[in-house]
Amino acid sequence: MLCQICKKKESAITFTKIVGGQKTEIHLCKDCAPIFSDKFSVFPHPQFDINDLLIGLLNAIDLYHKEEGVIPVKEIECSNCHLTYDEFKLSGKLGCSVCYYDFREQLVPLLRRLYGNNEHVGKIPQQSEGKLNEIRKIKQLKKELHELVLKEEYEKAAKTRDEILKLEGVSKKKNAN
Amino acid sequence: MQIKDKSIILRNLKESSAEWINGQGPLTDIVISSRIRLARNVKGIPFPPRAKQGELKNIFELSRQVTGEDSLFEDSNLLLLDELTPLESQFLVEKHLISIYHAREKRSYRGCVFNQKETLSIMVNEEDHFRIQYLLSGLQLSNIWKLINEIDDEIEKKVTYAFSEKEGYLTSCPTNVGTGMRASIMLHLPALAMVNSINDILKTISKIGYVVRGFYGEGTEVMGNLFQVSNQITLGLSEEEIIDNLEKVTQQIINREQKARKELLSNSKSRLEDQAWRAYGILNSARIISSAEAMELLSKLRFGVGLGVISHPNLRTLNKLMLLIQPAYLQMLAGKDLDHFGRDLQRAILIRNEISK
Repeated sequence: MLCQICKKKESAITFTKIVGGQKTEIHLCKDCAPIFSDKFSVFPHPQFDINDLLIGLLNAIDLYHKEEGVIPVKEIECSNCHLTYDEFKLSGKLGCSVCYYDFREQLVPLLRRLYGNNEHVGKIPQQSEGKLNEIRKIKQLKKELHELVLKEEYEKAAKTRDEILKLEGVSKKKNAN
Repeated sequence: MQIKDKSIILRNLKESSAEWINGQGPLTDIVISSRIRLARNVKGIPFPPRAKQGELKNIFELSRQVTGEDSLFEDSNLLLLDELTPLESQFLVEKHLISIYHAREKRSYRGCVFNQKETLSIMVNEEDHFRIQYLLSGLQLSNIWKLINEIDDEIEKKVTYAFSEKEGYLTSCPTNVGTGMRASIMLHLPALAMVNSINDILKTISKIGYVVRGFYGEGTEVMGNLFQVSNQITLGLSEEEIIDNLEKVTQQIINREQKARKELLSNSKSRLEDQAWRAYGILNSARIISSAEAMELLSKLRFGVGLGVISHPNLRTLNKLMLLIQPAYLQMLAGKDLDHFGRDLQRAILIRNEISK
């Protein structure tokens, strides 16, 4: 098999990545492998600038899109600060908090590569504490419910379900207000 | 906050030494200091690299307001970096109050708030609107988290942070998103360097999600066998988990360093003694000394003090010297610009004075 980067030399090394349960393989020749592994590695060697890593990841994602035949979207731009996605790819820095929303399709694979399928579980600003804590609690209860059903502990599951419904009712009311 | 003139603030800074170098706290023979920084942004305003002049000004004024009224910041100072000379900015870097990036960036309205003990500093309009940092000597990340969390809560009473349920605290660079927290521990690892295991260990920990940097953080060289280990992952773990993991990893490095120290001490005590006393001899007699040589010798001397093969000077003096001998600090103390040779002369005088105290 030919190297997937230079497409000239015979591939010698295979990188396997499992992201979100999905396995992808990339075959590289001896010359392209070191460059690629440097840029691709989530854990840089010492003295590695974190921004290089990020830009490397962004390029790796683009490469994957190319491999998978995804047609690149036309220039997208943040509706608030007007940063374009291409500008972000060059600097590795987002322009404002709205960029996270407007570029979410592009950011999701990036964040997944950086952090796995994770969501924020740390501190919550006090101003939004009440609401967010409820959402977190509902998520946790739903997970418990799923486990209880699997274990066929239906009585406990019913109680958990009621608790979820109650909490969801409260948070819907709050949202309506 | 106290309203003071820039020259008074800088003069005080020159004369004071930070609490985190005092050589006290758990495991200070190996752990120099612990640090946590939080990246925070104000909702609705573009991040500093993208913000307009007026927006940067608003953020700067906001920092003045937030710290001005609060008792937590009673003894704090605020500096506008735009007003500082490159030398003065570099001096703040060497004091570990601001990052190199913050000192060199050309953007207007970059600020730095710091308290008298120099344990707390807030970089204003760095890559993020606020970068809150807390530093203490020795291994005490949990303590720092308690303190910095309180400060963060206090700021948040007056500011609405950019935050999303899934991504957490939103930051200019996606590598900080989530907790926005970077926790680091500064380690002095001369024994591991001596037995040549340092590279293997550092390679291993960088493979499991930690970053190793030099004395002055990102992009800086390792000198004097000082290494800064910090977390890479900021999303998907709570602050407590990040701290706990980092402490566990660091503890293993500390164990290895302790083991190497013990072995070296039992196999080649006289060699270590000789090394420490020679370092003392040169530092106490040299008339011209470069910062690279001084850092290397200070590291050897610090190692000897940690092992107990030499008792003078104390850790505090040695920690302090590692800062004082840096180029900008030296020139600030001398009160004038010095060329390379002039600095090497001045450095030798300063070291002799401090060591003979």
